[in-house]
Amino acid sequence: MKKVMKWALLSVALSYAPIAYADTADGDAVNAMGWDEIVEMARGSEVNWFLWGGADNINQYVSDYIGGILKDQYDITLNRVGVSDTVEVVNIVLGEREAGVNDNGSVDMIWINGENFRTMMQGDMVYCGYTDILPNNELVNWDNPAIANDFGVPVEGCEVPWSRAQFAFAYDSARTENPPKSIGELIDWVKENPGQFTYPAPPDFNGAVFVRHVFYYAAGGADQLLGPFDQAKFDEVAAKTWKILNDMEPYLWREGQTYPTSINAMQQLFANQEVALYFNYEPSQFGIAVQDGTFPESVRSYGLTDGTIGNTNYTLIPYNSPNKAAALVLQNVLLSGEAQYEKARPDVWGTSPAIEVDRTSPEIQAEFASIVQPESVVSSEELGKAALPELQASWISAIEQGWLENVGR
Amino acid sequence: MHNDSPWLRAFRGLAGAVLIVWLVLPLVPLAIWSFARGWFFPDILPKQWTLSAWEYALSERAGVIDSLGLTIGISLAATALSILVGVPAGRALGLYKFRGKELVELLILAPTIVPGIAVALGIHSVFITLGLNNTVGGVVLVHLVPTLPYMVLVMSGIFANYDPAFESQARSLGASWLKTFWYVTFPAILPGIIVGGLFAFLVSWSQYILTLLIGGGRVVTLPLLLFNFATSGRNDITGAIGIVYILPGIIILILTARHLSGRNGAVGGFGRI
Amino acid sequence: MSDRLKIFLLLAPALTAIIVLFMGGLGIGLARSLNYMPVIGLVDPNFDAYWTVFTSQEFYLSFLLTFHISFTSTVLSSVLAIGAALLLRRQFIGRAIINFLFQLNLTVPHLVGAIGILYLFSQSGSFARLAAEWGMISRPGDFPALVFDPYAIGIILQYVWKEVPFIGVILLANMQALGEDYESVARSLGANRWQAFRHVLLPLIFPGLLSASVMVFAFTFGAYEIPAILGPNYPAALPVLAYRKYTDVDLEARPEAMAMAIIIALLSALMIFFYVRISRRNIRS
Repeated sequence: MKKVMKWALLSVALSYAPIAYADTADGDAVNAMGWDEIVEMARGSEVNWFLWGGADNINQYVSDYIGGILKDQYDITLNRVGVSDTVEVVNIVLGEREAGVNDNGSVDMIWINGENFRTMMQGDMVYCGYTDILPNNELVNWDNPAIANDFGVPVEGCEVPWSRAQFAFAYDSARTENPPKSIGELIDWVKENPGQFTYPAPPDFNGAVFVRHVFYYAAGGADQLLGPFDQAKFDEVAAKTWKILNDMEPYLWREGQTYPTSINAMQQLFANQEVALYFNYEPSQFGIAVQDGTFPESVRSYGLTDGTIGNTNYTLIPYNSPNKAAALVLQNVLLSGEAQYEKARPDVWGTSPAIEVDRTSPEIQAEFASIVQPESVVSSEELGKAALPELQASWISAIEQGWLENVGR
Repeated sequence: MHNDSPWLRAFRGLAGAVLIVWLVLPLVPLAIWSFARGWFFPDILPKQWTLSAWEYALSERAGVIDSLGLTIGISLAATALSILVGVPAGRALGLYKFRGKELVELLILAPTIVPGIAVALGIHSVFITLGLNNTVGGVVLVHLVPTLPYMVLVMSGIFANYDPAFESQARSLGASWLKTFWYVTFPAILPGIIVGGLFAFLVSWSQYILTLLIGGGRVVTLPLLLFNFATSGRNDITGAIGIVYILPGIIILILTARHLSGRNGAVGGFGRI
Repeated sequence: MSDRLKIFLLLAPALTAIIVLFMGGLGIGLARSLNYMPVIGLVDPNFDAYWTVFTSQEFYLSFLLTFHISFTSTVLSSVLAIGAALLLRRQFIGRAIINFLFQLNLTVPHLVGAIGILYLFSQSGSFARLAAEWGMISRPGDFPALVFDPYAIGIILQYVWKEVPFIGVILLANMQALGEDYESVARSLGANRWQAFRHVLLPLIFPGLLSASVMVFAFTFGAYEIPAILGPNYPAALPVLAYRKYTDVDLEARPEAMAMAIIIALLSALMIFFYVRISRRNIRS
């Protein structure tokens, strides 16, 4: 007890101590430097990385594995700051910008994509133009439109890809025999199995993706929805989508009177057998949940015959980050073949790499080839057979808003 | 009062038993979950027992131990601050009658009737400009808002039954101001400081939204950690952190329990609003 | 030193803290809710945010839900706490245990209680599992919805769990300070048990009960984490709604959040004012 107290007092006292900032807040100056100079500058500093903290295994990979490399090889202290929604981080930067905190912000890096990236870009709150400096940038295939565009918004050197993901469904093979394999089948299945399905209410990320799948279905495919927002097209498809979802509502969990607030709440419902289907943008989560005992061993996952949506997620450095050099070093470490392989290991995280594996060293390539997915996780090759693109963020927010107004209440 | 019928006594016993069960019940699943693995519906007890949630919670990487230290530090600092600020105010309100006293009482008690979130959003804006957001110092300061009223309340109750004549006697016998305080005032008000401090500590200890807003997610106290795990579906780790979170309160309670009950009037001070 | 100066000096630190932090927080919140922020160039205050809040159906639904939660929890907790305090005045087996548990419960944070209630009462929680064991339900969906439900039953259960001991401890301290003399006199004058309680004991413990229940009301009206864990997604409790607005990406929503915060403060103060008046009138008559 005494030790804890002493520790506690110390930690309070320390937090009052002035923090010494390396002068790495000036993005233009950093961009003009060579890589070795940047690494030297970052030495001994810290980097505050804000990212979704809801998955223990991801936290562990970031804190232990990545944090360990930074500490041992570069003498950089990584502070992982877990948030429950990336919007919170965007808000912190927004608040700082409002208050005129332009070179001493609290956020050095964000795990981000989609709408939040768009907001950051619109608010002119992103540090850009550095990707070519990163040595590991050569592993990234910027010619791939799915990498060069974040939900339809050109990346243009303002963020660095980290992982790729594709939406998949999961079910418990011991409980459910024939899970629906397309949105059309799902609509019928829900009516035949009342109370067995639900989805998290948008703006939950995964819930919104599910609604987009229905939107694509109502539109007869994604092709006509690509490109800038089209109000007439939206109105036409949206009307059909709300009808489908509202017709489905009485057959949902709790007769659709309430929806889970987050994907984690839905995960609990599935784990507790309150619902029969689960889905996630990150199929590796199914394997993790089986491994830690949250899901039974009999869980299996699959993609849809009419395709599921895939995306790339990125890391971004806010314009007012005081530790840009350290953040760049961190991004370079994240892109390395070793770190991307570690991340792809099913027992670590199991997510797909954002780099081109064939551009890495033969050893790393061999390691990637040796990966065996757990039975509960559908392979990315299988999923990749029918992949759907993400829409531009303006479509996405219109769909979320529309859901809230027409289905959610 | 010894002529109670056996029925009445049986009723009391039954009501007491129900009360005991009800008071303990919500903590039971938390404790079980912390040792469970894959505890699925409809199993009443887990099929597999494990210590892995505890191993994780007590390991360095989980951050629970760090967070425990930080939470204790913040609560102790907030309590100390509210004692420092609250005892003089309690003295003024307990000992003196003066114009505007009701207004002062209303002001000091206002935070107990105006929900914290209503002021926290505004305070957050101010703290951003002052650079106090996302800092431990800022969190300690904002915890003063909900803790101070309890401190003042309890202390004014204590001072209302306190005779300042002893102080003047000590002074007239040549004791210095400091000695008078140490040997006369302090022992007399100590029970109040303990009870008020206990309340202040517990109020700070269980603060969630103020810490979340002002700490901006950077000051990760135990409730924040617990909330994150509770909403991420890891019931086993949630259970373990939940138990870790309630232990210090229990220890402090056991240390101060004899001051809480009885007729010292410290808790009764709540009747004075 | 004059008394006036002494009083001023004694009160100065506490008043400074309250005025700067509490009133300051409210004041800035008010200014921002009116879109008035000279620092960032907003110099024309307006009521747009309040207009948006008062014209949204969600706000009214949220208010009704929050009021229902606070009112029901306060009344239930107060009544049960009186019962518990009366019980604890008497000698019986288990009294010491309850006394200890009451105080222990005071130290348990609301958040922990909320998680416990979730694990007990959810459709796959302990009670649902017992019901399944006894063949009363065949799958989780058959169990009545007690958490995330429109009537906020889970939230109220949590508050009752936490606040009965809180009010109870205060009442018990009051009762012990009073002793039993007054009631004995009343009983010896021919009052029955109920009359002695209603006309003698209740008015005596009333001030303590009132202030404790006011605190409970205010707390339950403004708490965030309990409805966030146990409450329905729509309508959400007012504090949850305000927090969502505050953390919305859209900066336009911030004044709305501030307006909601101010409304919560005003409503809470107003309701407590009426509550105190009504209950004083009823008990003293």
